[in-house]
Amino acid sequence: MSEKGEVDLTGAKQNTGVWLVKVPKYLSQQWAKATGRGEVGKLRISENLNDDASSQVSFTLNEELTVIEGIEDKTVSAPREHPFTMQSVGGQMLAVFTETSSDKIALEGVVVQRAECRPAVSESYMRLKRLQIEESSKPARLSQQLEKAVTSNYKPVANHAYNLEYERKKKEEGKRARADKQQVLDMLFSAFEKHQYYNIKDLVDITKQPVSYLKEILRDIGIYNVKGTHKNTWELKPEYRHYQGEEKTDE
Amino acid sequence: MTSLGSSVSSSTEYTVRVPKNTSKKYNIMAFNAGDRVSCSTWTQARMERDMSARRIYGEEETQEGAAGSEFGKKHREEARRKKFGIVTREFKVEDQPWILKVNGKTGKRFKGLKKGGVTENASYYIFTQCPDGAFEAFPVHGWYNFTPLAKHRTLTAEEAEEEWGRRNKVVNHFSIMLQRRFREQERGEDEEDETEKSGKKKKKGGSGRGGDLRIHDLDDDLEMSSDDSDSSGGEDGDSKAKVKKDTGKGKGKKKKKKSNESEALEDSDDGDYEGLEVDYMSDESSSEEEPEKGKPSKGEDLPKGIDEASESEEESEEEKQNDEEAKEEEEEEEGKKTPVQMEKKKKKDSSGESDSSDDSDIEGETASALFMKKRTPPKWGGGRGSAGSSRTGSRPGTPSIDSASTSNTLRAAANKLEQGKRQTQGPSTDSPAAKRLKMEPSSQSPVPSGKSTPQPPSGKSTPSSSDVQLTEEAVRRYLIRKPMTTKDLLKKFQTKRTGLSSEQTVNVLAQILKRLNPERKNVNDKMHFYLTE
Repeated sequence: MSEKGEVDLTGAKQNTGVWLVKVPKYLSQQWAKATGRGEVGKLRISENLNDDASSQVSFTLNEELTVIEGIEDKTVSAPREHPFTMQSVGGQMLAVFTETSSDKIALEGVVVQRAECRPAVSESYMRLKRLQIEESSKPARLSQQLEKAVTSNYKPVANHAYNLEYERKKKEEGKRARADKQQVLDMLFSAFEKHQYYNIKDLVDITKQPVSYLKEILRDIGIYNVKGTHKNTWELKPEYRHYQGEEKTDE
Repeated sequence: MTSLGSSVSSSTEYTVRVPKNTSKKYNIMAFNAGDRVSCSTWTQARMERDMSARRIYGEEETQEGAAGSEFGKKHREEARRKKFGIVTREFKVEDQPWILKVNGKTGKRFKGLKKGGVTENASYYIFTQCPDGAFEAFPVHGWYNFTPLAKHRTLTAEEAEEEWGRRNKVVNHFSIMLQRRFREQERGEDEEDETEKSGKKKKKGGSGRGGDLRIHDLDDDLEMSSDDSDSSGGEDGDSKAKVKKDTGKGKGKKKKKKSNESEALEDSDDGDYEGLEVDYMSDESSSEEEPEKGKPSKGEDLPKGIDEASESEEESEEEKQNDEEAKEEEEEEEGKKTPVQMEKKKKKDSSGESDSSDDSDIEGETASALFMKKRTPPKWGGGRGSAGSSRTGSRPGTPSIDSASTSNTLRAAANKLEQGKRQTQGPSTDSPAAKRLKMEPSSQSPVPSGKSTPQPPSGKSTPSSSDVQLTEEAVRRYLIRKPMTTKDLLKKFQTKRTGLSSEQTVNVLAQILKRLNPERKNVNDKMHFYLTE
């Protein structure tokens, strides 16, 4: 598969320059709410041509996205103006690569400018911050006093639900009848085809036979080994098993 | 915003759109400034998720059904985990690192690790300008930091720990990776069936540690790596091998190709030769052959690893030579002195190629000394003999010719001992053993001794051969010449010279005087004797 892992280097070849911008959490949350084509705001870049001061970049959030709904119906409006602080990349080489859901990797470009998006300090921002702090300062666990004692899990004599289930089970299965020996053997062999070691309880479950009868049959065709692992398990006798070819030899 | 002041500014407004379709996810690929990565140089790139962590998480994905499986095992495992509170983190494909390969196999490789916490408090948006002038903002889904991956081999954690412990001793750092490479080659031939995971390298690195240690001991002592100019990251094993070969002596091209340890061995051997006494300082060839012999005796595959074709041939040639010489030595070895025999035994061992490097050093030393000595005897067709000895009967009776060899000292010592034997046999017929030393000088004229003659204690009248004897004649002589007192007479016959005690002297003198009956005269109130004849 030469396709897999192959990196598409078109972005690198074109030397596409991108910006890496650090954006506050609330802002990214608001952006996620964007509708339509995803327009979230406007970016204004003013370049000072005379002196070499860095250009001023500012982002203005769209009106409709400023509404933040906090908990308990507290709505705060997010600030609209966000100036960008421009930073240089430094010596570091930062490239951008994308990964699609089909595992295709492409190199999109190289970061030429780093920036931080800061909110312009305003009253609304302060309120927003306060809201955030309140939310985050709430403990995850809470002790609460109950007015009324919980009665739903009082001690029953016998758990009713459980009791019912038990009775039903008994009625349904009754005493397990000893089926035909051949049938039981067939069931056992097919079970042992799937796994080599079985617990007696599991075999009883599978075959629905009484334990003593089942044990007799097992003594015939199988061996009981204290395998070294915890439980004592049953397995077929060597002459009966044939695991590589998945064939079973009949008695 | 209106502009302020007199500066001319133009402001333009652009609409900002945040597109709703979310089919493409935007991510940031960040490179370090120091790596100087430029996208424009990339001709082709491949990027995949690094799924190596899945093994750790997906370990339970054993085959289901049929052999080995239990009914309801999964549920039971889950229940067990919950009971013990084991929380296993889910393996999220989204969070796995990227592996980016640029410009194909020979190009660079990068690993992109996801940076956490990017989208937690603030969102990043990518603003691109559309053809219609409006801006489009796309949210950044993830941020990945890409770092370049080393292509050269690195040490694993265990190996690194080891090397760290030896950092003060190891001077030549190239050899570290080279040894590891060889170990891998060796193991690679054995374990070709296994899958190529990183664990494999660890295994190899770990088990080859013994060999690594051995080699570096030699390196520590002797090797001075002067090749710092070639500081490549070890890309090519061959280039590395060539780089190192200029250290030590330039003995020949074939030597240069060999690995470090062999050169170190050569160095040590040369240094050790200096103090030995040798017959002939023959040409260098003798000293050269010796260290080469030491090399195969190590039993390492390393020399073969570098350049198998040429070197194995050369080595086999050397080995043949060494074998021949060993045979010659073995012939001569029969009927040699025991100290020499001990040395020879060591040499035999070395030629058997079974020793470790430490032993081979010592053996090289002794063997080389013998080697040089023995070059001369074969010319004379036979071993050396010592001067007429009664010790080893099987030795041929050729007189010792080489007087400058070290064994001369042994022979000289042997000769002396023999002389001593002969000497001791001489006086054995005389008086008791206590007297033997004293009798010796008397019986042997060529060996003079400065000991005084003992006088036998028995018999006053039996004179022994000493200078002064207490005899009648002597007394008469004195008394004729001049009148003497008894004191004077006693003085004449000192106990030291006569060997008699003072009492005995007195008695003897008294008897002599009775017989002589000298005349008496009083001089100065003292009784003097005299005789007139």
